[in-house]
Amino acid sequence: MALGAAFITASSIVYFRRDELPPFVIEKLPLRFEALWLASLRVHVASAIVTFPLCILLMTRALQRRALLHRWIGRIAGAVILFALVPSGAVLSFEAKGGPFVSAGFLLSGALVAWFMVKGVLAARRKELGAHRRAMLHVFAQMSVAVTSRALLFGLDAAGMSPDVAYVVALWCPVLGSAAIAELLAGSFKRMVKAHGLKMAMFRRARFVARPVARVGR
Amino acid sequence: MLGLLLVPSLALAADSLPAAVQHRVEEALLKPLAEKEKDRSRFSRARLPPRERRVRVPSATTIRDASDHEYVAFAVDVRFGDQWQENDIVGCAYPQTGALFVKLGDEYRPADVLLGKNADPAPVACVPGKPRS
Repeated sequence: MALGAAFITASSIVYFRRDELPPFVIEKLPLRFEALWLASLRVHVASAIVTFPLCILLMTRALQRRALLHRWIGRIAGAVILFALVPSGAVLSFEAKGGPFVSAGFLLSGALVAWFMVKGVLAARRKELGAHRRAMLHVFAQMSVAVTSRALLFGLDAAGMSPDVAYVVALWCPVLGSAAIAELLAGSFKRMVKAHGLKMAMFRRARFVARPVARVGR
Repeated sequence: MLGLLLVPSLALAADSLPAAVQHRVEEALLKPLAEKEKDRSRFSRARLPPRERRVRVPSATTIRDASDHEYVAFAVDVRFGDQWQENDIVGCAYPQTGALFVKLGDEYRPADVLLGKNADPAPVACVPGKPRS
């Protein structure tokens, strides 16, 4: 995911060049509200470049153990996501390739991010860590669509699928799939907390992640 | 843009107009486009470059636009998998100047726009003028 975020950052620099139109913009021309759309694109890209790596950091055990740092980075990421990333993404979604069905996919993803971000922040303020974790898993899952969707686009192109169809598939599959995986992970964790308590559940989760990594290392 | 607008194409003076237009589009648009796409990141939401492009000139006859200049329409087809998609790019070429324009939405812009240059719509380009009485 971190590698994907780095690729996206590297390929997004072109959006800030004033003298050149990037291919993503060219294929959208002519735009109804070109100035608004271009400003939204730059805000969206800039906020994603900042927040996506922060979200990856926030999901690491190392940062979760440092509560104060986790809280402050979470506040920064949450504010930028809610007030810059999601609103600018909503503006962009109305001019999405593929028409209303694709627009709906982007809007759903944005709505999930906003909804679970608010829920997650409220849960954290109430010290309900299980609910906070579930909500933030959903936020991270939808943020990860940026990577999985592009990877899928690349794969479907290699398979020879028409780009118009591939664009729809590469959006809806990651949006729904990520939501399902987040819910599945949150559910299994909740069951673990119920059965063993929060501390033991965290320990078991660490082992659950560590075991396959150790196997690969052998 | 100047490159496409001001440098007249000798090829367009050739006998076979469709072949000359095809050559002009390939040299001035498709080759630079392919070169640009080589350096482009594949990890983007922008459409990935097609496997292949081909130019078609549907009609050999020239048409006069509103400012009384002659032009010839062309189309570019693309192939992604095994299937060709027709009219991926639609545009027109001006045989006298070698200028190329492409259609984006309902308007025509200098073909350089596809190479990433800012180019405003050209209102009279590629639009047939009123027939003379």
